[in-house]
Amino acid sequence: MPMAGSARWFVLRLFGERLALRLPVPALVWLTASLVLLGAVLAYSLTTGSQPTSLEEVWRTLTGETVSRAIDNVIWEFRFPRALAAALVGAMFALSGAALQNVTRNGLADPSLVGVSQGAGLAVVALTVLWPASLAELRPFVAFAGSMLVALLIQGLTWTARGASSVRFILMGVGVAALISAGTSVLMTYGEIEKVLSVLTWLNGSINAANWDDVYMLAGWSAVLLPMLLLLSRATAALRMGEATAAALGAPVRWVRYGLITTAVGFAAIGTAVVGPLGFVGLIAPHAARRLAPSGVGLHLLLTATLGAVLVSLADLVGRSLLAPVQIPAGLLTDLIGVPIFLILLRRAARGNAL
Amino acid sequence: MTSSPPQSSVAQTGRWLGLPLAMGLVGAALCLNIAIGAKLVPLDVILTALTARDPANFSHTIIWDLRLPRALIAILVGASLSVAGALMQGVTRNPLAEPSILGLMAGASFAVVIGLGLLGLADNASIPLMAAGGALGAAGLVYLISRWVPGGATPLTLTLSGAVVTAFLGALTSVAFLLRENAFDSYRVWLSGSLAGRDMSLLLTAGPLLVIALVLSIGLARQITALAMGEAVAQALGVRTFWLKAQLLVCVVALTAGSVALAGPLGFVGLVIPHAVRLFTGADYRWIVPYAAVVGAGYLLLVDATARVLFRPAEISTGIVTALIGAPIFIYLIWRRVR
Repeated sequence: MPMAGSARWFVLRLFGERLALRLPVPALVWLTASLVLLGAVLAYSLTTGSQPTSLEEVWRTLTGETVSRAIDNVIWEFRFPRALAAALVGAMFALSGAALQNVTRNGLADPSLVGVSQGAGLAVVALTVLWPASLAELRPFVAFAGSMLVALLIQGLTWTARGASSVRFILMGVGVAALISAGTSVLMTYGEIEKVLSVLTWLNGSINAANWDDVYMLAGWSAVLLPMLLLLSRATAALRMGEATAAALGAPVRWVRYGLITTAVGFAAIGTAVVGPLGFVGLIAPHAARRLAPSGVGLHLLLTATLGAVLVSLADLVGRSLLAPVQIPAGLLTDLIGVPIFLILLRRAARGNAL
Repeated sequence: MTSSPPQSSVAQTGRWLGLPLAMGLVGAALCLNIAIGAKLVPLDVILTALTARDPANFSHTIIWDLRLPRALIAILVGASLSVAGALMQGVTRNPLAEPSILGLMAGASFAVVIGLGLLGLADNASIPLMAAGGALGAAGLVYLISRWVPGGATPLTLTLSGAVVTAFLGALTSVAFLLRENAFDSYRVWLSGSLAGRDMSLLLTAGPLLVIALVLSIGLARQITALAMGEAVAQALGVRTFWLKAQLLVCVVALTAGSVALAGPLGFVGLVIPHAVRLFTGADYRWIVPYAAVVGAGYLLLVDATARVLFRPAEISTGIVTALIGAPIFIYLIWRRVR
């Protein structure tokens, strides 16, 4: 436990010192820095595209002026919802990864690596292909059900008489993910070609088609899930030290566990339902946050969410401007960035005998 | 394991008798594979077509031009992938080793996609060569990663490196697809592992490569048994382990590359068949390798027939069916073996 003196602290006193928060200064600095970076990336992505727009024009458009009909249309209908969706989805996948890592005490857990994203993917593809007339609002629920089933399946397969082992957990995830992808391929062969084509870009993790409905959906669900995660996070601090220790410290271990898994699956499922599976974001962001500034659980989650938002916003920006007019889905870029980072983390985990 | 001489000689006889029996079953699977399709061909027509071909007979033309080459590809690829899996399991002493899990197939398909789509190398000689280069590169990468991670090449590190190398190359392949959408349209089906509509002239280059590698693998089988008992044991038994590993690597790369060139990436065949075969043969690679070849050929013939009839008239890719069967077996192996 970091004590006073090992890091500098900022003490926030509220309600006449009835509520006082002691926050480490480096983490606050990094949080501010990443929020500024997020703002910069969002601003830049609003100005770039097939119709270049100056920052001043963007600002005037966003504050309600009409610079020109074309710019108004491009910003409000395409770039702004897309940028917001990218940031929200990034934060959601990052938080999902952080929650999964805490609950499994496995630094390599990521929603896309343990089959949770694929479960959501299979459920959504099944809905699109088998019941094409279904409502888009149903997608998050179906995705959630699919991911939850997969999460439970993996938990069940992993559990042995001696408790859960992380090696089994990760290998099971690889196997279940392969099985689910095969199931998804069957549905796509079986389905009609137009439906399949729309599903295909979605499966690569693409934010191309994000609109305001998607943004509202992501924001609404985040507003439900984030408080849940923060409430559970106090107990998470104890859980990080192991289940036996946490139980000894008086944490309701089982309920916290179920709650965290549900929240993690929820974040990943909603994110997947809107933009498709985005790999490795849930792996990179929590680790980066921990490395940049050690902090308590709550602040760590906030930093994780901001870093995830920055990562996906950047991936989307690079994906659509690098080889324009070709749009590289953000999911492919996060895969390409994520693999080397995963290997570095694997090496660290093996060296620390955490596997 | 100790077994008394009479028992082992009984087992020996059983193994000798099992091989022709298994070959007979492959023959039956071959007839079934040829018979099934859009036009159901009766067995007697197949037999007359094979023995005395009548160029004017429509069924005979279907059999000789379409179904028989496809069945031949299924036999060759099934045998090659199963043997490749058996060799890899022996060398790495890892029950989960297999060309697709360890990333070799992703390497081979990535190299073929790049060669065909971006460099325009579409002739029959270069496709297997590119596949071999890609498979070798991926194998080297996965090996280096698993050595670089402390603790060495455990099933976990090998499987995870294979999985992430596959993810990485898959993402690169998708980017290449996006860049040249029209050029790649015809490879989409191939990339999901399909025996349908394959270019039969490829058989002339990839076929001999696979046959040579298969023969070589059977020749090396005796030494693999020693290697599977551990490096020190093998060296004590007079096996030059480095040389043997190099030969085995060449075999595995050739088998994987030829198969990918012919049928695209077919996952989990190399995992399922050697494990199934071991139930009958035990741990002796002199038996595992030839049995894997025969049983693998029959298996892929049946899987291919299933893929054709499951959702008629639509045909699903053979690779999807092998994954649907293989992934649960992969999960079962982890459930039993990894604690």
